[in-house]
Amino acid sequence: MSSPQAVGDLVSQPYKYGFVTDIETEKIAKGLSEDVVRLISSKKEEPAFLLDFRLRAYRHWLTMVEPDWAALGYPSIDYQEIIYYAAPKQQAKKASLDEVDPKLLETFDKLGIPLSEQKRLSNVAVDAVFDSVSIATTYKEKLAEHGVIFCSISEAVKEHPELIEAYLGTVVPSNDNYFAALNSAVFSDGSFVFIPKGVECPMELSTYFRINSGDTGQFERTLIVAEEGASVSYLEGCTAPMFDTNQLHAAVVELVVLDDASIKYSTVQNWYAGDENGVGGIYNFVTKRGQCRGARSKISWTQVETGSAITWKYPSCVLQGADSVGEFYSVALTNNRQQADTGTKMIHVGPRTRSTIVSKGISAGHSANSYRGLVQIGPKAEGAKNYSQCDSMLIGDQAAANTYPYIRSQQPQAAVEHEASTCRISEDQLFYLQSRGIGFEEAVSMMVSGFCRDVFNQLPMEFAAEADKLLALKLEGSVG
Amino acid sequence: MIRPDAPVLLEIRDLHARVEAKAILKGVNLTIRAGEIHAVMGRNGSGKSTLSKVLAGHPSYTVTGGSVTYRGENLLELDPEIRARAGVFLGFQYPVEIPGVSNLEFLRVSTNARRVHRGEAELDTFEFEDLVRERLQVVQMDPAFLERSVNEGFSGGEKKRNEILQMALLEPLVAILDETDSGLDIDALRIVAGGVNHLATPDTATLLITHYQRLLDAITPDYVHVMAAGRILRTGGKELALELEQRGYDWVDAELAALEGADADRQPAEVA
Amino acid sequence: MVASPTVRVSVGGGGLEGWTRQLLERLPAPAGALAAVQERGRAALAALPVPSSRQEDWRFTDLSLLTDLEPAPAGAVAATAGDLPPSAPGVVRLLLDGRSDPLAGVTLPPGLSALNPAELVQALGHTLAATGCEQHWPVELNHAASEQVLALRVASRHSVTLELVSTAAAGLLPLRLLLILEEKAELDLSQLVQARGAGLTSLVLEAHLARSARLHHGLVALGLPQAALLAHLALEQEPESAVTLVSATAGWGLARLEPRVRQVDGGANTTLRGLQLVDGRQIADTHSHVLFSGPEGELDQLHKAVADGAGRSVFNGAVRVPRAAQRTNAAQLSRSLLLSDRARIDTKPELEIVADDVKCAHGATVSCLQTDELFYLQSRGLAASQASDLLQRAFCEEVLRELPAAARSWGSFQAMLSAAGSGEDRP
Repeated sequence: MSSPQAVGDLVSQPYKYGFVTDIETEKIAKGLSEDVVRLISSKKEEPAFLLDFRLRAYRHWLTMVEPDWAALGYPSIDYQEIIYYAAPKQQAKKASLDEVDPKLLETFDKLGIPLSEQKRLSNVAVDAVFDSVSIATTYKEKLAEHGVIFCSISEAVKEHPELIEAYLGTVVPSNDNYFAALNSAVFSDGSFVFIPKGVECPMELSTYFRINSGDTGQFERTLIVAEEGASVSYLEGCTAPMFDTNQLHAAVVELVVLDDASIKYSTVQNWYAGDENGVGGIYNFVTKRGQCRGARSKISWTQVETGSAITWKYPSCVLQGADSVGEFYSVALTNNRQQADTGTKMIHVGPRTRSTIVSKGISAGHSANSYRGLVQIGPKAEGAKNYSQCDSMLIGDQAAANTYPYIRSQQPQAAVEHEASTCRISEDQLFYLQSRGIGFEEAVSMMVSGFCRDVFNQLPMEFAAEADKLLALKLEGSVG
Repeated sequence: MIRPDAPVLLEIRDLHARVEAKAILKGVNLTIRAGEIHAVMGRNGSGKSTLSKVLAGHPSYTVTGGSVTYRGENLLELDPEIRARAGVFLGFQYPVEIPGVSNLEFLRVSTNARRVHRGEAELDTFEFEDLVRERLQVVQMDPAFLERSVNEGFSGGEKKRNEILQMALLEPLVAILDETDSGLDIDALRIVAGGVNHLATPDTATLLITHYQRLLDAITPDYVHVMAAGRILRTGGKELALELEQRGYDWVDAELAALEGADADRQPAEVA
Repeated sequence: MVASPTVRVSVGGGGLEGWTRQLLERLPAPAGALAAVQERGRAALAALPVPSSRQEDWRFTDLSLLTDLEPAPAGAVAATAGDLPPSAPGVVRLLLDGRSDPLAGVTLPPGLSALNPAELVQALGHTLAATGCEQHWPVELNHAASEQVLALRVASRHSVTLELVSTAAAGLLPLRLLLILEEKAELDLSQLVQARGAGLTSLVLEAHLARSARLHHGLVALGLPQAALLAHLALEQEPESAVTLVSATAGWGLARLEPRVRQVDGGANTTLRGLQLVDGRQIADTHSHVLFSGPEGELDQLHKAVADGAGRSVFNGAVRVPRAAQRTNAAQLSRSLLLSDRARIDTKPELEIVADDVKCAHGATVSCLQTDELFYLQSRGLAASQASDLLQRAFCEEVLRELPAAARSWGSFQAMLSAAGSGEDRP
């Protein structure tokens, strides 16, 4: 017979993406210096403007201190103990997938991201990034017919340097914050998306990030530009092997949206979270920001954060264009010793800008899960509106759920509304479902996904079910 | 319908149970055969609701003695969901609200769980929609309730109708209805009672737990049991309920006092 | 941090640090019953970093106004109740001037007594420590300068109604209060803190409520644009005790209020009601902190702010629910009216929960008056300004109506506020 204790006894599901691919890798020596920055740039055969960008960022980074205001605790990171460039040994990027090392294709197959012609997802174009390097991008030609550029950022630097120079660092400046500056100095690869004026991207775009090396830092850079009237839905997924050391992941994502354009950016983050004692796992320090530059433009962030030992991440919207819209839908789940400090910033600059925040935090085990958000209404944002909802679900009495929603308003003709609640899975609710024949684990999973429903509804269809399953998996053994 | 040769569905023998440290059931005996409708009446605190929770396997209640046999199987060692799948249904006095969980999905998952247990194929979403729309008529419920979260924001009457809808879908062999009449206006009571009557068959049995005669005006019981202090004090036909209605429960107290006096007298002998 | 070009001239090189140094130099030598406390406070002030926007707790609150004030203890001001109507029969009114004994010549009602020196030593500072604010800068400032402490005990099963009135002129007026409520004691405390010049009122109140005691505290703080208020209200509650803390502050160039409550074993009831009005270049800041150290505590908090002119309103509401505090039920609501495009509202609830079986809800709204409400009133013939006045009063009234009876008998808050503003030239 099930009792609340019995729930706690469910066996934890092992992290199923924790394998390591045995492949020859080219790595540079540990440590960070101006020479290392130059080396990365030269390995990637970059134009001068990009090397300048990196060096400016690096020099600024040297003057900065690591932020400590988040509700996170971790031993200090030795930035000289990290390898800043690793790439699987293969000749540049392959013209055809047939030439890609079969081991890599196999790796992505195992991760559920088939890249080969026969097996690839029919309506999703994928850029696969292995350690620091993009190894394949599917459907490039088909997208090109519509004028859509979807490639690795390294390729974009070579093939569309004018676009990179025009947009890179314009949303997240190289000196924005400690981790963004570090990324700007050493970023290795990532995805670039450009949707020209008036084009609705014909398929979902997706980047799949895979960390493989144990001592390598991951510094991807993603840039998405939607010109006037363009729209795109983009999804990123991430996994990493299980190592008992921590790996640093400091990514930057920049979105630029012009008049009447929209970007929907979804993340299912499942980096290795460390074991139940908090050994190992990814330190995930990410700067994601979108700028609604145009009138009536829209950015929608949806994130399902289940992995990483530490998550420090605030996907934000700068709402400059009149009537522009920002959205943030988030599920953050922490279990065992995971710590997450995540939320969003909605910066209302233009008139009649609107934003919606829906955050669902689930804290289990000995984890700490903090929502930290800022809604700022500037003096010119007349008629701006924000609605925020922050709900926490606590599972067990050892987990922490913190909520820090900052609101700053300087515009009387604006309305800001914030609501927050906490709940748990009550014994009576569980019993009710069980008494209708629904098994214990399924009952828990139904209630958790019910709690997250408002967010899952925002995910592209193909990934909503996956997110649901992922959450159920992550929670096994924690309810009680 | 009383048929002495009908198979026994549920056999409760000297059942003792407690919640936390407090003993509530102190030796309940009850035999229920297929086709029968039983009513358990009694004051608040007599143990009626506890009996229903224990039969359904609520984790807050601990069985301290006795046995419950359901179709020859030891019911007490089954998890609550297995009891439900096997055909024991509890209609809750206070159905809980479960925000975020869609009523339709909940009904489908539970119906399929019961079907699989019976060796039947699961229904896909379309087949299930057809079934649920048909069964909605039993309780005259608006299909709009299917789109909402389980019981969330339902009125008292709507919650009870949702309970009977679940019963209509799960097709239990033993339906235990805990104060299903409480909080219902006369129209809702009629609909709920109509649903219960509609679902009663010669192969199934119903255990009504109620406070008042008015439910028994709508559902005629074959047996009426009066419960007090954790035991069944007296059993009779439907006329016993009418007697209770007229005389109130005071005589029960008197009878109980006499019984407990007898217990006290008997104790030394037992010790010896 | 780069100094902003708008820094006031008087800040000079030393800023608040310099001001604090000067104040320390000009305080009289430690003496009297509080000599040890004064020494402690002065040592701490000399060592503590002064509050600045680099500290999260002071991020939105600019203290530079303090440096405009005379860094010296207030001169002797005759204690006066000013324009207040006489207190009701049976209600004791005490006048606080920071120097003289407010109990001299006063007959205390049954059940109310002053603590003796031994008791004082034992109890003073206990609640500050328990609520984690004994080392806060404003508290150490009070430690350094307080010469008097009003320490009272309400005996078990007695019910007492008390009024406290203080009026600050130029310089620093430190007020130190200590209240001990025994089991089932009840205290209605109405406190008026007003300013008549460019002074700083430093208020530190400690109250300890034994089981089933009840405290209803109403703080009406009416300031001037050139005056400042720094107040810590620290409360310790035993189970089954009830606190209602109602504060209404307006008119201060700078007002910082820190209600800090600890339910030592949970099971108590805390009601917090705050109203703060800012206009001109005023700053009002409430940092509340409620800690549940045991199960089944209740909190009901409503904080309201109205910001007009170039005023700034800050609210930070911390609620801490550790693992021991199962079945806590806490609700916090912050509602702000922003009436001018030069005004600013910063609000931040802060919930930290490590217990699964709790109910903790919080909400915040920032907006101007509702156009449909205004329109409704206008459609019944009210002028726009009348309608807006009426709605603003209604907005404030939700807090003001919960002031204790004695405070309400002083007159309407709005009338007192305008009287306070016009009275600044009087002697």
